[in-house]
Order: sequence, then C-alpha cells, then structure tokens
Amino acid sequence: MNIIERYCFIILIGVTLISCKKSDITTIQEPQAVSLEVPVNFPAYTDDLNNPLTREGIELGRLLFYDKRLSGNNQISCASCHKQSLSFSDGIALNNIGVSGNVLHRNAPALVNMAWAKNGLFWDGGSTNLESQALGPLTSVDEMHQDLYQLVNELKAVENYVVRFKSAFKSDISDATIMKALAQFQRTIVSSSSRYDKYKRGETGGNLTDSELQGLILVQQKCQSCHKGDLFTDNEYHNNGLDDDFSNNSLEGIYQGRYRVTFNTADLGKFKTPTLRNVMLTAPYMHDGRFTTVQQVLDHYSNGIKVSPSLAPSLNPFGIPAIPLSSTDKANIIAFLKTLTDSSFINNPKLSKPQ
Amino acid sequence: MKRILFLAFSAVILFSSCTKTTEVVGEFDGKATVSFDSKVGTADFALATDFTVGTKTYNFSRLRYWISKVSLVDSKGVEYAVPNSYYLLEEVGNITLSDLSDPITYPARKREDVIISDIPVGDYKTIKFSVGVDSKYNDNMSLQAGELSQYSGMTNVSWMWLTSYIFTNLQGTVKEGTTTKTFKAETGLNTNYKTVTLDLPTAVRISTAKSTSIKLNVDVTKILDGVDLITTPTIGASQATVMATLANNYATKAFTVTSAQ
Repeated sequence: MNIIERYCFIILIGVTLISCKKSDITTIQEPQAVSLEVPVNFPAYTDDLNNPLTREGIELGRLLFYDKRLSGNNQISCASCHKQSLSFSDGIALNNIGVSGNVLHRNAPALVNMAWAKNGLFWDGGSTNLESQALGPLTSVDEMHQDLYQLVNELKAVENYVVRFKSAFKSDISDATIMKALAQFQRTIVSSSSRYDKYKRGETGGNLTDSELQGLILVQQKCQSCHKGDLFTDNEYHNNGLDDDFSNNSLEGIYQGRYRVTFNTADLGKFKTPTLRNVMLTAPYMHDGRFTTVQQVLDHYSNGIKVSPSLAPSLNPFGIPAIPLSSTDKANIIAFLKTLTDSSFINNPKLSKPQ
Repeated sequence: MKRILFLAFSAVILFSSCTKTTEVVGEFDGKATVSFDSKVGTADFALATDFTVGTKTYNFSRLRYWISKVSLVDSKGVEYAVPNSYYLLEEVGNITLSDLSDPITYPARKREDVIISDIPVGDYKTIKFSVGVDSKYNDNMSLQAGELSQYSGMTNVSWMWLTSYIFTNLQGTVKEGTTTKTFKAETGLNTNYKTVTLDLPTAVRISTAKSTSIKLNVDVTKILDGVDLITTPTIGASQATVMATLANNYATKAFTVTSAQ
C-alpha cells in the first residue's frame, strides 16, 4: 500500500468502528452487584429487576436516608421518624415534627425486612413499591414537604452526590434515581439475629426459657394467622377490630383503612399487618399508635375486639370476637416477644448514619 | 487501482454490515402529526373564557391529560406500537408547583400536537391510545419513559398516599344561576386507565413520501357529560364513582377523528 492508501485504510477502519460502536467513550465503571444475604429461616428474596441492589446504590441510599436536605426546611431526614434504635420507628403515637408542624394521622411504621414487603406500603397499601413510596413522605406538606426540583438542585450542588449518583446509576441526579437509591438502602434493612432466630437456626446463644417457649407456642397458635412465619407478618391487610364504625370519610378516607385505596367495602378498617420483630422497641402500637404497651394490645385481642362486617374471621372464631388468653398466656407471649428484639440490628453500623 | 477498488469494496461491506437493510422502493419509515384539538362543543377551547353549556357557564384554567401507548393499525390489521409513547397534552397558564418560599413555576403551555416518527410504511386505518398511565409506570414512579415526569405537577399531591400519576386534570370555575364553584376534576388509579380506539375516515398512507396529519377533536363538554360540577366540584380518588364516570367519558365520548390525510 502506498501512503495515501494506507491512510485511506486507517480512516476507513476508524470510521467503521466509530459507526458500529456506541460512542460511549467515557467508561464509567459498572456498579457492583450485591445479593442480599437471606437468613436460612427466611423466605427467598427476589431482587427488583428494575432496580437491582448495588454496593454504590445502597451506600448512596443510606446517605440520602440520613440527609436533612431531603426535607423542604432542611431540618428533618427520613431517619427523624425512622430511628434505628427503635427499629426504624419513632416512639410517638402521632408525631408533629413535619415541616407544617401538624399532627400526622398515622403512626410512623417500623422499617424491618422491607425487602420482603412486596404487597403494598403505607398502613393502607397505597404505594406499590419502595421506589414510589418515597414520594409520599418526601412531598407531603405535613411530612418532609420537599419540592422535587429544589431537591435535585440542592443535591447537584454537592460534589459527593454528583459523583455517587454517576457511579450508582450512571446518570445525573434525578427524582427517579433518588427514589431508587432510597429503596435499595431500605431493602438492606434486615433484622434476623434475634435470640429467637438463633434458637430457630440452632445457633449458639439460641436458648429460650420455658416461659418463652410457652409464648412461642401461643404465638404460633393464636397470632400467626396474620403475624405469619419468620417474618412475623403476612404483609396483608386485616380489620383487627379496633373500630366498628367507618362512616367518617373525612381526610380522604383516612379512617377507613384500605378501603380508601380499593373502594371495596370488604376492606373497610383494614390495615397492614406489622411485623412482631423488634416489637418491644416499636411502641406505641396500631396505625394510629392508640396502644402504648404490648399488654394493651393483648388485652384488645382478648376482650376488646369490635365486630363489623369486615372483621378478620380469625378474630371471631366461634361467633365470639376474642382470642382467649389468660394472664399467664399474655405474660408468656410477652416473654417470647422480647426474644424477637435484635440488638445487633439496631446497632448494625451498615444501617446507621454515615460518618 | 486494484487496491483502491478493494478498499472501496470492503468499505461497502463494512458499512452495510452496520446499517439495517431497507427495501429500496423510494418510500421509507414516515412521520405523522397527531393533533388533539380541544373544543368546547363547536367552539375552540380557551383558558379564562366563558363558555355556556346548557344552564352552566364554565371558565377553564387548566386542561391536562396523559396520552400513552399510542399505536397505529394498518389495513392488514398489523399494529405498530409507538415506543415510549407517553405524552402530556395540555393547555395551562403558569402553575406554581410548590408553595415554598422560593416557588417553582411550570410555565404556561398549550400543547396539542404529538409528532410520531419512524412509523413503518403502510396504509393505516385505526389509531389507538390510552388516557392516563399504564400500571407498570403508574405503580413505580422511578421508572420513566417518554414525557413521564414527577416535575410536571401531574402526580398525586392531594391524594399522595396513592403514589401514582394524575391521569387527567380539568380545572376552572362553574356558574349556575347565582352559584359559582371552583372545580377540580381529576382522574387516576389503574382501574381508570382506558384505551381509546378510533377508526380513521379512510386509510391513510404514512411514509416519507408526504407528511401525514391526523386531527382529533377533544370535546370538553363530552368529558363532563353526566357530571355536575356544582354538586361535585372536587373529583379525586375519594369520589370513586364520579371519577369513574369522568374516566369513561374520556374513553368513550371525548375523542373523535376530524380528519386524516
């Protein structure tokens, strides 16, 4: 080949290669895939194909979860109402720490084993997945009252975020990637190292006393139709007899339970089953935090259930609306529930505020 | 010389290996403009203008709706689904998206045209589209396609406990006798996601040979058919029955074909 031909050839190959390859010259490293460690006594976990877990995504979500920039007044973060020390709940029946200062209508739910919570979020299941769920508290006037434009702009001003979003999602900061990162972090909030778990898995330290074992049997017999399996929730919605009048349709049906989402009268007064894991840390109880102690909750089930057409059948077994429980039964149940407290979970540095 | 021929030849091979093979018949994938022309009966829709319909006088401030999953069916019955077809059709004045100290404004906009490119050459007789956002995207707001966005103020704010899109939004005031009400009529929720199928007057050829225009009529009086905004000035998730009526009106009455050429 003469020189001209040689140049022609090189140019030709060059042009061809450019036209064939995507012009993605800057190589951004792929985020590192993470598979969730599933405890042997837990159901299988399937990753979300639209938002697979990555080391970078989880770490970014954790930063965001604890960042007060996420609220309109930059004074509260997700962790303000979901405190790790309280199994990611807040210890208040109905808090008023949102931007408006108004008292909320719902108790801040504990966040435990969210990776398996695939049957709707919020007490009435109005949100289908953790990604969309984030928009509720983020934008609600009475909660974080954040404007999404402002949030994106605020985060773009932080170099660390710009870099982290790039490496986690290979994209700029957007509402979509904020939601995805938060969801990824929340899916790593796994509690599976309580004394009960060690007992169940035959690990050292897994000893239960007679009273605790009695309590376990009672829970299996009388509670696990809803607080199912080792997640201690069926992630379903039930009317557990707290009220029997659901005619108050104010505040967009807030007092009507899941009915406000499905408009099916069979769902009146139904709320999502919370897990019993770490239950001793998550007082007060119920969707509106009306019970301050587990004792009160058990008293409700033994002699406080109110009957209405949508009442869970398991709470009205023989036409008598009660779960029969003696005071010894209740004491044993409480003894067992204490074994579900997971101290390594509430102290897990991977879930705590990044330093 | 031989070498140059060889180079030229290999260039052809190399290039052709990259490009899609297209039947060379002088016509290629075409483009169509679908216009959603808003009307109040026979009058052109306008903001801040009185329209008297029966006993009521309406004055509109917003008309917004998502159009999604557009497809075109050709005369052989083959359906071409337009990828990423999520469009926000609207006529709005400035919208303040937040009530924070430094509010963000969504600028006034009139958007009636949707331009669809890369339509395979063919004679098309039917257009299909849905009003609202399909459950895949409605249920997961971190997935985005086409013009879907949380920034446009077309997500649920007043009923944010259902994290999803507002499918349609019509706002303004309505006057009947001495009563005046400010109304906000919205639809949303997966059950109210409806598909509209409209046959074109005659099959229309879409290709590079000419520009194609499909004009649709969107009659606001039909959207409100059987809905009394004096008695129900706010229609949202909590007004499930009226909302269903509204959604059905969008699906069955509001859209008609004016012309296709």
